Amino acid sequence: MDGYKILEQMKRLRNVERIKEVAPLTAAMFPGTHCPLMGAAMAVRGIRDSMMIIIGTDECAYYTKHMTLHSEDYGGLMGRVVSVTLDGNDVTFGCAQKVEAAFAELMAEYAPKAVFLVTTCVVEIIGDNFDAVADGLSERYGIPVLAVHTEHFKCENHMPGIERTITACLSMMEKRPCDGSVNLLGQRMGNFEETELSRVLKEAGVRIGVQLPCGCTVADIENAAAARVNIVVNDIALPLARKMKAKFGIPYIFFDKFADPERILACYRGLFEALELAWPESLSALYQQAKSAQAEARAALKGVTYIYGNTPMRCFEFNRFMAELGMEPQIIQTSSIAPEDRQDIEAILAVSDPYVTKTANIAPLQYVYDVLHPMLYLGHEYAARLRAKGIAMARTDGAGSLLGFEITLFALRALTMAAREAREIRKEAR
Amino acid sequence: MSLCRYLPTPSDRMGILWTLLCVEGSVILEYGPAGTTHYSMGLFGELGIEQQNRLFSTHMSEDDVVMGDVSRLERALLEVDEGYAPKVIFVVASSVSAVIGTDLRGVCAYMQDKVKARLIAFEQGGFRGDYSVGIREAYRLLAEQVVEPSAEKQRGVYNILGASAWNYRALSDVNEIRRLMKEAFDMECGACLCLETDAEAIRTCGGAEINLVLRDEALPAARAMSASCGTAFAEGAPYGYKGTLAWLEKVGQAIGRRVHPKLMAQLRKRSMEAAQYRMYGMMLKKHRPAVTVMADYPVVRGLAGFMEEIGFPVANQVSMHSLRAVENPAEDVRYLPVEKERIELLRGLSHQLVMADDVAARLIGDDNTYLRVSMPLVDGAQIATHMPLCGPRGADMILESVERYLQTLK
Repeated sequence: MDGYKILEQMKRLRNVERIKEVAPLTAAMFPGTHCPLMGAAMAVRGIRDSMMIIIGTDECAYYTKHMTLHSEDYGGLMGRVVSVTLDGNDVTFGCAQKVEAAFAELMAEYAPKAVFLVTTCVVEIIGDNFDAVADGLSERYGIPVLAVHTEHFKCENHMPGIERTITACLSMMEKRPCDGSVNLLGQRMGNFEETELSRVLKEAGVRIGVQLPCGCTVADIENAAAARVNIVVNDIALPLARKMKAKFGIPYIFFDKFADPERILACYRGLFEALELAWPESLSALYQQAKSAQAEARAALKGVTYIYGNTPMRCFEFNRFMAELGMEPQIIQTSSIAPEDRQDIEAILAVSDPYVTKTANIAPLQYVYDVLHPMLYLGHEYAARLRAKGIAMARTDGAGSLLGFEITLFALRALTMAAREAREIRKEAR
Repeated sequence: MSLCRYLPTPSDRMGILWTLLCVEGSVILEYGPAGTTHYSMGLFGELGIEQQNRLFSTHMSEDDVVMGDVSRLERALLEVDEGYAPKVIFVVASSVSAVIGTDLRGVCAYMQDKVKARLIAFEQGGFRGDYSVGIREAYRLLAEQVVEPSAEKQRGVYNILGASAWNYRALSDVNEIRRLMKEAFDMECGACLCLETDAEAIRTCGGAEINLVLRDEALPAARAMSASCGTAFAEGAPYGYKGTLAWLEKVGQAIGRRVHPKLMAQLRKRSMEAAQYRMYGMMLKKHRPAVTVMADYPVVRGLAGFMEEIGFPVANQVSMHSLRAVENPAEDVRYLPVEKERIELLRGLSHQLVMADDVAARLIGDDNTYLRVSMPLVDGAQIATHMPLCGPRGADMILESVERYLQTLK
């Protein structure tokens, strides 16, 4: 495979407006993106007393159950993920009756508090109306039964699966008097209790309401409308937050995994204003610490070339953060371009114009490395293979369980360590 | 009665994938949403199957689904052919492309002139049966479309047909068969359909003296090779001491060779020693030995035969897959397609030796003795490649579990 040819087919960031205009590196992909079914399963993991029924092929059901086998959160083999698998007859004549029969078994054996009916690609093609089926089951059994559609041919990756699962939870929420709490919406990984944001809120005496989807019960979701403010830590929770604002009048603060201290400061300011609480001085100190670290890292990172794969951070905000530190993005891989990304994209374009392509296709990247010779790769790759090509891997997964200025510090540490490693690899190679 | 609480039976498509992924020098290109391909990596990794540079997905967009546009697949075929230069590209349908009726054979037919690799289409999308049906199709198409009819005859070489990565201890079993064939006839394995083999070995395997057909699903492939290459075949697998000896004699007859006397003597000796287990059935007063075997059909038959050899009655023989691809299945073997029926059977077992999978291990009562002989594997991992279920070494290992079981009976 010719790396130059691959690059010729790629677009520059300046030339794309929407994700549909971003081409994958190649038409044949490996490993490819995750599917929204997996996303739905990730969301259900955190809703402890709910269950998930996968309605799809044996294969969809098998892989999802397989993923949950060793997880205490799901209950392992005997746990909360079950399925109704379709055969040729179901594809031809529909599967609603089969699902209803299976649902009766589920209710008799598990007595769940809520059930997510998760439909996969084939169900969406044959057109069974599972929104209606879910409504009917809800009425019959007196528990929330929520349809979640996870066809992968209509979306880029697994994130819509999480988004749709948590957005479906709106129908479980009931009007409650405000108890002054804040809800945490959209955290996918890690323990919120261990984050800087959690510590700051605790010190300010703020009670945390529902944590959706990273750890809650059906009752927590039912009480979610008692919150004063929703904190949205990822785009996946924006639809739910907007709907909660419209239905219950709860404002939300978008507090993603930003790396830039100014952005984080603005998030904290917005949060404390919404809570009508005094500004904690400890936050000013954390801000100063992050700014100092940023200034110190500049020298080590200036001129460091990189290919961006995926990280827990927000793609274009983090790339802007790195570009403004003097780093040089060569390729940015992304699975979405949101309207909220526009300012960050403009800021990146002010200093560079990297190639842009879709994520999760590392096989052809091997040939691109030989053309661009980046110093760093950010994301999931085979570290030894990268090293052999003179590239260091920046390990950022740890940021998955961080929120606040701690992300700036973590990211700078990961980048400077990787840059140092890249220089050492190149020195050894000479 | 259709709730699946645990792991569903893998589909024909899954069987096709794990069979073809074992062929080095080939590439699988899936025409469907990429998420399924990524999702499958966990299972294939667990089965010890390499995927890097062997498995690709085209992904599919809504436009492709609605408009039936296959240009993405055409581009991917050209890229894989040029970039990885495989001998064969298996183009495998997804459930989506199967349901919308994409003509993969047609695409492969007109793209064949544009690529160097041989293109073979698999249009099953997971709706034509379970993995047993899928692996049968995979073996058959390999035999019909990859094996060259004019292959040069190779004396002292045999092929294995019907090895499956899904079988628990599959690689150990293949290694045991290789050892037995070496000791019995001084023969070497050519191609192994399909475990740790490669496209070139399959292309030239028609010259072997014999095909050892380990399971019925490989019979159509064996017949195809018999017709196209004149390769003889012998069906069956070596389980237990007596069963191994009988199997070796059957193979020997087919190729006109005699089993090495030393190996024959060893197997006869072990068979006689194992006969002592028969007396336990008479000595025990309260709980007589009884066995349940739940596994792939050939494993069920093989292990049931071994249990009969040592005088242990087999109460239940249950195939984990449908019997559609099994020719003349034994009446004693049942297939229970509804999970609840399997659960009820397992929960009803008492004081038995249960040879099954890890799901069964969670369902049986504590007074039973469990031995894992089947996938899926839930607890731990499969690492060893020298611990077979078949052959005398497999029989030795099984007898250790039999000893453990006997200690629980009174």
